[in-house]
Amino acid sequence: MLLEARRVTRDFGAFRALAEADLTVAEGEMIGLIGPNGAGKSTFFNCLAGDLAPTSGSVHFAGRDVTRAAPEAHARLGMGRTFQVPATFEDMSVLENVMVGAFLRHPGRRAAREAAEAVVERVGMADIRHARARGLGTPGRKRLEIARVLATEPKLLLLDEALAGLNPAEIVRAIELVRQIHAGGITIVIVEHIMEVILSLAQRVIVFNQGRIIASGKPADVVEEPAVVEAYLGHSLKRRPPR
Amino acid sequence: MKGRGLLYLGAAIVLVVYPLVFSGAFAERIGALVLLAAIGASAWNILGGYAGQISVGHAMFYGIGAYVPLLAYRLWELPPLAGVPAAIVLSLVLATLIGFPTFRLVGHYFSMATIAVAELIRIVVSNWDFVGGAIGLMGPATSRTVFDLSFKSSVPYYYLFLGVLAVVLGVTWQLERSRMGYYLRAIKAGERAARSLGVPVRRYKLFALLLSAAFTAVAGSLYALMIGFADPDSVFSLLVSVDMIIVAALGGAGTLAGPLVGAAILVPLREYTNSIFGGGNSGLTYILFGGIIMLIARFEPGGLMEIGRRLAALLPRAPRREVRRRAA
Amino acid sequence: MTLLQVVVSGLLIGAVYALFSSGLTLIWGMMNVINFGHGDFVMIGMYTAFVIVVWLHGGAGWTGPAAALLLFAIGVIVYYALIRPVMRGPMLAQVLSTFGLALFIRYAAFWAFSANFVTLPEGALGGTVNLGGIYLAVPQLIAGGVAVALTVGMYLLLTRTAIGSQLLAVSEDRNAAMLMGIRPDRMQALAWGLASAAAGIAGALMAAIYPISPTIGETLVLTAFVVVTFGGFGSVPGALLAGLMIGVVQALSAFWFGPIYRDVAVYALFVLMLWVRPQGLLGTA
Repeated sequence: MLLEARRVTRDFGAFRALAEADLTVAEGEMIGLIGPNGAGKSTFFNCLAGDLAPTSGSVHFAGRDVTRAAPEAHARLGMGRTFQVPATFEDMSVLENVMVGAFLRHPGRRAAREAAEAVVERVGMADIRHARARGLGTPGRKRLEIARVLATEPKLLLLDEALAGLNPAEIVRAIELVRQIHAGGITIVIVEHIMEVILSLAQRVIVFNQGRIIASGKPADVVEEPAVVEAYLGHSLKRRPPR
Repeated sequence: MKGRGLLYLGAAIVLVVYPLVFSGAFAERIGALVLLAAIGASAWNILGGYAGQISVGHAMFYGIGAYVPLLAYRLWELPPLAGVPAAIVLSLVLATLIGFPTFRLVGHYFSMATIAVAELIRIVVSNWDFVGGAIGLMGPATSRTVFDLSFKSSVPYYYLFLGVLAVVLGVTWQLERSRMGYYLRAIKAGERAARSLGVPVRRYKLFALLLSAAFTAVAGSLYALMIGFADPDSVFSLLVSVDMIIVAALGGAGTLAGPLVGAAILVPLREYTNSIFGGGNSGLTYILFGGIIMLIARFEPGGLMEIGRRLAALLPRAPRREVRRRAA
Repeated sequence: MTLLQVVVSGLLIGAVYALFSSGLTLIWGMMNVINFGHGDFVMIGMYTAFVIVVWLHGGAGWTGPAAALLLFAIGVIVYYALIRPVMRGPMLAQVLSTFGLALFIRYAAFWAFSANFVTLPEGALGGTVNLGGIYLAVPQLIAGGVAVALTVGMYLLLTRTAIGSQLLAVSEDRNAAMLMGIRPDRMQALAWGLASAAAGIAGALMAAIYPISPTIGETLVLTAFVVVTFGGFGSVPGALLAGLMIGVVQALSAFWFGPIYRDVAVYALFVLMLWVRPQGLLGTA
């Protein structure tokens, strides 16, 4: 088991944002987390990544207890993440952004630069590698974030709504990138709103609602479960994506 | 990039020949003061400009740098220079005391702590007779040996300061290109994201603070060497911190040349406004400075270097691949 | 001077600290902005009182409301002109904006009023009162009492009124507040106005008991920093408690160790606090 989260609970004062969430992820899997807004997926995500400390429960990664470990430690152990609102380093270039990631595994500038160039090439941003991150649009920023975290050579990648705000053509490109990364041997846990994406990408889907996990299993199965349908207020999960 | 290299070479030449071209006590003194201001601002810049951690109490390091050497002279008749290492060590200890608890906190705590501690030190020093109280300390009136570095003319000081500035800028330049430089810029640009990439944020903030404090102490020592005298108001006051900040910020915080550019503009400006409006830390000079700082914050935090960069980008140029020097 | 007298004196001035610090913590909690010029707002309040009483020969009763109105306006203007544009920006811009403002105001006062300090004449609200053996100056008593009342009033405003809950809503979750039809911008401007007005009134209250000088803001803002840190991020009750505490600490330090230690003890306590319990007395880690 690469990642094991047990009974993770997180309170904010009197408000219980997440209750007893369990998750095990084996190497090589691609897991999707879905659920309505405020369902607790982001809170869970942040607990996994080390941005939030769980009120109770535990998170084990690669055999180590990372429940209270700082995000830096997570990164060093091989867990990387992206952010829902892209947090690229605006005044640095694409290449420089990725180099920050590369420095984790390559302390020397030359090696870090080479590694970063390779990643930038791989995600298809080689021709704009000297452009400032500030000038990129949302798809560019999201792609850059992914490139940057890839440079840290993660074993597990947590993608937080990596496809939100993209138009259908961009979504297709992004899905392709995620598939490539997965095919390259990186385990992926992806939080997403867009049903079609999760259903087509994920091998296993976990559904959140009101802070709890209400269903988990193969996408086709989960979609049929009454609790899940109800969570989305009676809307069919086989909806077309909004234009 | 050829153009940029040529510019730097030109600047270096100007700096070296300045006192020879503009001779005369006043011009020489201004030159030395510009370089001194550039050193202090460059030191502040490492922490404030590159790492984005805003200290508004850097005067405490400057003051320690000025006082300890003078104290070494007063107590043991040593050349002030001998006191510099101790001044640096003391500054590093103080820096750790402030940075260690506050760098693990998010938000303005660090800035608040710097101003509080700086003021605390100023009050203590002002009331402590051992270090001269409100009167301050004096250095050797004339050079007993060459090590006293007590010169009548400003020119030797000019070249001494130029040498030190070269060292500070050299270190900064190396920093920029190294992992630490990238990490500091990442911390400034987005701490949360930096953490997620494995950057040990607290540790690097501390490194930047220590480096910055050490260089600031050196700047204070140079001040004491040149002026031969220090008192709480001239080296420990908030305005000393303000001077460092405005010089770096106007020129361009986070750039190599920013502090020097800022110093070249603000030091002569301040001499001018002080002479018109009369008397030392006259109100009007700092009304102007306060206004400038607000304008920088509001309209162009990147300072003049950023404005310059934007203008340069507008210039028509032959299409060619942009090669970023830093990543090279 | 008995110990009890010192403590009560400290409590009274501490209440005034609480008043202006509560504004600072309100803004901090709402927008994560620290106003380095907050002490200078208090200073403006002090000079307003001076101008009214000494230059315009007005009654002392006008000083509070005048200072409140003036500073409210200044606070709102500063918000729209300076704070709102830099809030989303880099830390450098945020810190420098209010820091530059502080310098500007401070040295404008320096130029207008000169470095010498001034005081209000005894006449206005003179006299001392004997409360069970403790001698207190009437202005001191009034200052403390009004300050406590206003700080509590600020708290009630925030927690019991509709406008207060709107302010708190923006503080909690800006986006959610917008969805509820609240205009965060307006609320934040209001918060700035209120906080600045509180500082102004505190200044007017202090004018009768403190020597007034242009650079007093430097010390007062540091006091405010210590109070809000002790009191906890964004907590008005915390600011009240901490303000009283700091007032007493100051008074006792001066009494036991000498006048210099008044401020030194407070700053040292601040550093200690940052090491040991940065979330403040009432805050959660």
